[in-house]
Amino acid sequence: MSAPYFSAFSLTTYLAVAVLLGFFFGFFLERAGFSSAHKLTAQFYFKDFAVLKVMFSAIVVAMLGIAYLSLVGWLDMSQVFVPPTYIWPQLVGGLLLGAGFIIGGY
Amino acid sequence: MTMGVQPFPVAPAPLSVEQAEAMSQRRIKKHHVAIILLHWFNAIVWLCELSTGAALIASPYFRVAPYWYINMLRNIFGTRANMLQFHIVVGITWIVVFLVYGIFGFRTYLAKQIFEKEIALDRDDINWLIIRALRILNKSDEPLPPQSSYNAGQKLFALLVYAMIPIIMITGLIMAFHLFSTAVVGWAVVLHFAAVGLVVSGLIIHVYMGAVFPEEKAAFFSMLTGMVSELYAYRHHFKWWKEVKMQEQAWIQKLQGVSTPTGVAPPISSSATPPSDVEKTEERHGPPWTFKRIFRAPEYWPPYAAGVGLGLTLLATFVLMGQGLGASGGFTSYLVAFIAWVAPNYATHHPYWSNYIQPGQSPLITFLVFELIGVVIGGFVSGWLAGRLRIAVDKGPRISRRTRYALALGGGILTGYGARLARGCTSGLALSGGAVLSVGAWVFMLAVFAAGFGGAWFMRRYWL
Repeated sequence: MSAPYFSAFSLTTYLAVAVLLGFFFGFFLERAGFSSAHKLTAQFYFKDFAVLKVMFSAIVVAMLGIAYLSLVGWLDMSQVFVPPTYIWPQLVGGLLLGAGFIIGGY
Repeated sequence: MTMGVQPFPVAPAPLSVEQAEAMSQRRIKKHHVAIILLHWFNAIVWLCELSTGAALIASPYFRVAPYWYINMLRNIFGTRANMLQFHIVVGITWIVVFLVYGIFGFRTYLAKQIFEKEIALDRDDINWLIIRALRILNKSDEPLPPQSSYNAGQKLFALLVYAMIPIIMITGLIMAFHLFSTAVVGWAVVLHFAAVGLVVSGLIIHVYMGAVFPEEKAAFFSMLTGMVSELYAYRHHFKWWKEVKMQEQAWIQKLQGVSTPTGVAPPISSSATPPSDVEKTEERHGPPWTFKRIFRAPEYWPPYAAGVGLGLTLLATFVLMGQGLGASGGFTSYLVAFIAWVAPNYATHHPYWSNYIQPGQSPLITFLVFELIGVVIGGFVSGWLAGRLRIAVDKGPRISRRTRYALALGGGILTGYGARLARGCTSGLALSGGAVLSVGAWVFMLAVFAAGFGGAWFMRRYWL
């Protein structure tokens, strides 16, 4: 059976897997130092590029993994949610979030 | 040797029991993590490629595997075409990883490592090979010449492997994509087979020495931990041991600011010496894979390590859930649940909130809501393991707490509004959408960084 598997899960399994994935998400974010607003904003002052490094290495790893898994036919990309594009709202939203990021420290 | 005074002996001298005991306790770093990872990656690739490759050769002239094996592997993969595709995908991955190592790590890992340590045979190595062969034939009982960090046998194997790897890669690509004429492809098949055969003949010895031969157990474990005991280095790789010791001595002299005359034999092993290079190495690097060092250390992980962990989590989320990780969408669900609880009629008829409500189901039964619970637990566990838990207001040094609270609220409103406007935050849109190459996600990500870098100048007073 090919991935993604969510449709085969019972509701309890689905939510338990969600908690488990969230656990690792939170764990690695904390490991990277993303629990500190100071560390997060430091990149905008060219002091600490951990955010960029973590984010882009994570994107590259996931991207390559997805590319390979779909290439060998394990992951069915037609069932994977790809966020739809709305250029202007996403451009403006990004600018607002970036401004909020540097003001509030996320 | 002709020199009058030798700072070090030329060959390993017999050790007293105490010396041997002390030396077996101390550990020296032998392999860089990058080399260890490359080694095991290579091992897995060879395992995959040899097991499928043997089953792919069905021609009666070249067939190496028995028919039952070929049939078994075909059944595992379903068809021969699937198996061939697997063989090619793994092979291309191997080529890409080696190219990345070769290009980006050339100076750091490869140039010194390979050309100076792994394949350069010197006079001692040649003698070692001759004496070794004579000893096996019982024609000589001469002691083996001292060896550097790789002995002559290992160097010969490395030479063979490094000569064959490019041939295997190039012929593999020619076969996979039918490059050039049919005649070239035909020759590529033969060359591919011959080159692999040569490597396998050496590989059998390599695996036997590493996995079975009792004397080389330390070498096997050094490929896991990167460390060997000083005693092992002294007995098996004396020239390398000497090099490490001489560096250590130079380091001590530099530390003490004393230029002692050369020619003074150093103690082989003494606990009274000031922090030496060996001990320094041990303090900083080894043993590197303990739970304590990885999870209980107060420092954050190196960004790329955390990034790979995060990337694998994201990949697992796509495979299991068919969507990426997120944050702001989960908070929206919490809010909708609250609104639906206070004013159910309003919520179900609202043009925006009603999107988050399924009839007959709580708005809280979503992936993101439960994922966020996990995030809190995971972050807490990570911080607790590292001893980073504390209640603090994380702010710049020049502002009051009250200012920080006000800024956090203002920034939070902008962040929240921006995230909902863009249909996602840095997790749900930039990270997850970025990994599946959503155009909007990359537009959003660039906008976030543009605003961040652009706005930083105005906010510098508050953070620096």
